[in-house]
Amino acid sequence: MNRALTVARLQFVAWRSVVGWPWGILALSFLINLALFSAMNEADDFEPTTGGLMSIYVVMFVASVNAITQDFPFALGLGVSRRSFYLGNVLNYLGQAISYAAVLYLLAVIEEATDGWGVNLTFFGIPFLLVDNPVLRFLGFAIPFLLLGFIGIAIALVFKRWGVNGLLMLSTVALAGIGGLVVLATWRGWWSAIGGWFVDQPGWALLVGWPALLTLLLAGLSYLTIRRATP
Amino acid sequence: MSAVVSVTDLTKRYQGVTALDRVSFSLAEHRIHGLLGRNGAGKTTLMQILTAQNFATSGEVSVFGQHPYENEQVLSRISFIKESQTYPSNLRVTHVLRAARLVYSDWDEEFAQRLVDVFQLPLGRNVRKLSRGMLSTLGIVVGLASRAPLTFFDEPYLGLDAVARQLFYDHLLADYTEHPRTIVLSTHLIDEVSDLIEHVLLIDQGRLLLDVEAEALRGQVVTVSGPVAAVDEFARTGSELHRASLGGTARATVRGDFGPAAHDRARSLGLDLEASSLQDIVVRLTTSHNGRAAGSAAAADKEAVR
Repeated sequence: MNRALTVARLQFVAWRSVVGWPWGILALSFLINLALFSAMNEADDFEPTTGGLMSIYVVMFVASVNAITQDFPFALGLGVSRRSFYLGNVLNYLGQAISYAAVLYLLAVIEEATDGWGVNLTFFGIPFLLVDNPVLRFLGFAIPFLLLGFIGIAIALVFKRWGVNGLLMLSTVALAGIGGLVVLATWRGWWSAIGGWFVDQPGWALLVGWPALLTLLLAGLSYLTIRRATP
Repeated sequence: MSAVVSVTDLTKRYQGVTALDRVSFSLAEHRIHGLLGRNGAGKTTLMQILTAQNFATSGEVSVFGQHPYENEQVLSRISFIKESQTYPSNLRVTHVLRAARLVYSDWDEEFAQRLVDVFQLPLGRNVRKLSRGMLSTLGIVVGLASRAPLTFFDEPYLGLDAVARQLFYDHLLADYTEHPRTIVLSTHLIDEVSDLIEHVLLIDQGRLLLDVEAEALRGQVVTVSGPVAAVDEFARTGSELHRASLGGTARATVRGDFGPAAHDRARSLGLDLEASSLQDIVVRLTTSHNGRAAGSAAAADKEAVR
């Protein structure tokens, strides 16, 4: 566990770039949106909603791919075991997800208190994330970080272990699998039932429960994959 | 002296290629081992398996008495500096050194800074913008300052000029003398390191050709030159690795158990005898198709001078 902590610290030796990229891009995205909607000068009842918040999650996804393609060979070169590297990464992601979600939550609260930064802008608060329970709302910010992080790790590990052919195979299987299910659902007329299932799910399950379950599944599969990966 | 590394019947096969073929040896503690062999001989694969970065197809590997795979106790005592090491693109030289300091418990920061000065490494430069030589230097600094009980250098000198290489050898030897540890140095530049190496491992096409003390090896291989008949006579006492002939004279490299008596014998036959350099030995052993064969087999492989 000590060694895992060392790995987590190792990934922060250049912390300025680790923290700077996601927040820098988010800040840029926010400022552009703010400038844009201030300039538009629309009527009072216009309440724009942007997808700008996505940018920080996208950066997290890219960073997690880099963790496998770049940090992994470096850490193993320094005599770190695969297990410690993986655990260190998990610690790192948990730390980032929790702290980043806390900041985003805070910004969303400020956004509400200032009537959308004075221009009715909804940037940090996303409509479908509107739940009253503060814990769920916090998790709604945090879980997507982890989910995207582990999707990035899983994809990069497939590449690391099985190369380009592995990625092509994964894409083929995913395409065939999803396509097959769509055909099946259409043929059997399951769509209304599927829609109903989603509607019936409580908000917390769609927001937190299912993404968390998927994250755990990916985390487990990634661990099994990294155990035999070569840098 | 206890064995730090022991390897038994180690075999590694990639698709259709046997990179290592039933290799067995052990490495004694507190020595400098030279791991020699041509490109593609299997040197890097061997070191990757010893550091658990790669997986053996079959055979036993033991490092500090345990298997290295996922073994933190073993891995934390190993430093593996390889020519092909990559670094995360957002790191500067100073970040890499800080990372190494976090990981290696015996890291000597003062020594690292001294080496940075000696090799004139630009601390603030991004690793992706370093020249090939600077990248090699960074590896060398990490490898030396880590003071790991088992340190592998896999051709650490790429892109370095002769002066920088000599600086590396000097600092390696000085620091090794002060802080004894087990060092494995894989290299092509055999002449340059022949004074440094205490034990020689020679790999060719995945097989171990030599596992011998450097001192013992020096007397084992000699080059004699003189009249063909006399050379033939002398070569019978060992296995001939190589021969070049010109007219009635020949020059042969012979391996055998040569003591002072052999020198007298050569003199009485009217032959010039000289001990072969380590580089000569390695070249002769890897080019004679069967380095360990008896003299008759090697003699069939005679090579006329061009």
